[in-house]
Amino acid sequence: MNNKINKILCAVRGGPESRQTVTYAIDLALETGAKLTFFHAMDAEFLGSAAIGRTLSGIYNELIEMGKFTMLILVDRAQRRGVKDVDYIIQEGNIRKQLIQIAIETRAETMIVGRPTRGPTSNVFKMTEMESFAEELAREGGLKVVVVP
Amino acid sequence: MKYRLNMRSTLFILALAGAALFGFSITKGQAEAGSPGVVLTGSVYDRQGQPVEGAMVTIQKPGESIPALKHGEDLADLQALTQADGRFLIPILEPLDGDLVLVTQRTHYKTIETPLGSAVVTKLNAGESISLADVVLVHQISIAFWIATLIFIMVLVLIALGWLHNTLSALMGAALIFIFSYLGPIVNKNLYIFSFNDALKYIDWNVVFLIMGMMIVIAVVERTGIFQWLAFKAYKVSGGRPWLLLAILMIITGVASAFLDNVTTMLLMTPITVQIALSMGISPLALLIPEVFASNVVGISTLVGTPTNILIGSYARISFGNFLSNLTPGVLIALIALILYSLWIYRKELKTDTDEEMMELLMEKLAKQAKITEPVNLRKAGVVGLGMILLFVTGENFHMLPSVTAIIGATALLIWIKPDIEEMIESVDWTTLVFFMTLFICVGAIQEVGLISYIADWIGALVGKNLVLAMLAIVWVGAVLSTFIANIPFTAAMLPVVGFLTGNIPGAESKVLFYCLSVGSAMGGNGSLIGASANMVTAGIAERAGYPITYTYFLKKGFPALLITTGIACIWLLIKFL
Repeated sequence: MNNKINKILCAVRGGPESRQTVTYAIDLALETGAKLTFFHAMDAEFLGSAAIGRTLSGIYNELIEMGKFTMLILVDRAQRRGVKDVDYIIQEGNIRKQLIQIAIETRAETMIVGRPTRGPTSNVFKMTEMESFAEELAREGGLKVVVVP
Repeated sequence: MKYRLNMRSTLFILALAGAALFGFSITKGQAEAGSPGVVLTGSVYDRQGQPVEGAMVTIQKPGESIPALKHGEDLADLQALTQADGRFLIPILEPLDGDLVLVTQRTHYKTIETPLGSAVVTKLNAGESISLADVVLVHQISIAFWIATLIFIMVLVLIALGWLHNTLSALMGAALIFIFSYLGPIVNKNLYIFSFNDALKYIDWNVVFLIMGMMIVIAVVERTGIFQWLAFKAYKVSGGRPWLLLAILMIITGVASAFLDNVTTMLLMTPITVQIALSMGISPLALLIPEVFASNVVGISTLVGTPTNILIGSYARISFGNFLSNLTPGVLIALIALILYSLWIYRKELKTDTDEEMMELLMEKLAKQAKITEPVNLRKAGVVGLGMILLFVTGENFHMLPSVTAIIGATALLIWIKPDIEEMIESVDWTTLVFFMTLFICVGAIQEVGLISYIADWIGALVGKNLVLAMLAIVWVGAVLSTFIANIPFTAAMLPVVGFLTGNIPGAESKVLFYCLSVGSAMGGNGSLIGASANMVTAGIAERAGYPITYTYFLKKGFPALLITTGIACIWLLIKFL
């Protein structure tokens, strides 16, 4: 089995809570010379709980633009640290599904994810289910998943 | 059947017209009992002085049992139902005989038996129409009372804990009320709460149509890119000074919230604000939290700024202009205090820390993005919007309800802009409209069974005739409760209570207590993360940018904001109305 890493996926939202995860991904990219792709899954399911029932096409676009912005900052950070091959991908939809899908599509060897945030409106993972999801992700995507504390 | 009821209505109107001609006091009739035109009239009220509709009033012998009127059944002779204003009119078609009483009965009230007296009977027989003293009905606590109360509490809890969608919670409440009302009596007749037709009477269609019309207008405006453009202009005007940017963004958000709903305003402002903050190297929360504070506070300066104001304005007949003149000055003072407070609590976070090169790159991206995308539509929306404001302000002079203005404005905009009509109709948040309709039914149920009357009595006993005490109680209880429970159902339930207090406390005729309710219920939204939907939306978007807002974080920043703004608004109301 070839252990060489050519592609690293780093699934984050940006912000201070993902700093460690991003640092880990950049370090790994520098160490292996692999391509680093930041991945941001934009889910808007939380809007449903706030009694927003109307069409949200405009709002989705705004959220995507915001996501691009946070990813641009991460790309800039990686480039400043010396990562040559770095980009980002943003996809709309359920985060679980998007993570599995992107893992399969990109054929990356490693995915770096952070621990769940403490946010009250988070609909992604509970702290306790993170490990089992990481296992599922590794199995479905056929890659190594690193959960950064 | 319909024909017969119509005949009765016609007879009622004719008799009422006749009674009006001859006066409602004891009048000399021209005909003897048994001739058309001789009537016994009166009014039925509850303990809060509100007219009771649908009470059955019967002239009968003492102790005689009268079965309750079944659906579709005709009234007997010497029997009448009270109208919406609580009045009844019994035509005396035949001479009366012996000792008689007037029995007033209605579901959820204790039956009242009033002796007519031989003098009244004699006068009626002599052809005189009689107007009796008002009958006051008192609620009685039955099993239906507890069921309706529990259902309402269940709806509040479900909404507060977020276990079910707001609309589904209220819909479930309404469905349960109907299940008990229609199937319950098979087991126990006391399980009956109210009929579907009675429930419909509690829905305030002015509120529903006003919200619907405004949603269409907002749907057009939100696509124009005006918010993104304004936010970026704010950055330009501030010259990169975060403190000035914060103040300008709070003013923009506040003014927008006064005309659009707070959730839409924050939905549109939050993503662009996050980007501006990140470009400047400051924490987005230092701009977002003050923005949502401003949205919650300044929203109450107009009739259409918050759903609670729409509810209050419709119930108490408070016009757009009245909200502007009575609340806006106080709200503006509160906004100034809020800006100073925000600058103080975020004094450390508002120091920029970014790389010049990176900032330039991000700002370039932002400049491309923050453009008005539909300038022609924006101009048209501006013209229609101004026309709507003019109609909102002047509409009361020709008895035009705000909902009519909203519908006219929305229709004019749709005709002028000619958008994809299906897309526009989809823009209407039907779930919210269903939420309001079913919520009105749930509130109507607790009103019907008497819970609201008991609360009104209790608050009335606490504050007595003291207007200042009543004002302080409504503002502060409203603010604290709205911090933890959804303010829309709270406001809807409080309206009849405040209506009672307004009618019973000297000096409250100015409707000041309704303004207190507006201040308390809206400003309470700043007290906690769950206090307002706009807070939750902002937190949700901020979290997606990697800046989660925790309950504790919001409480620490928000509760002092609640105390400051509510305190200022309270002082303003005391100065303005006392």
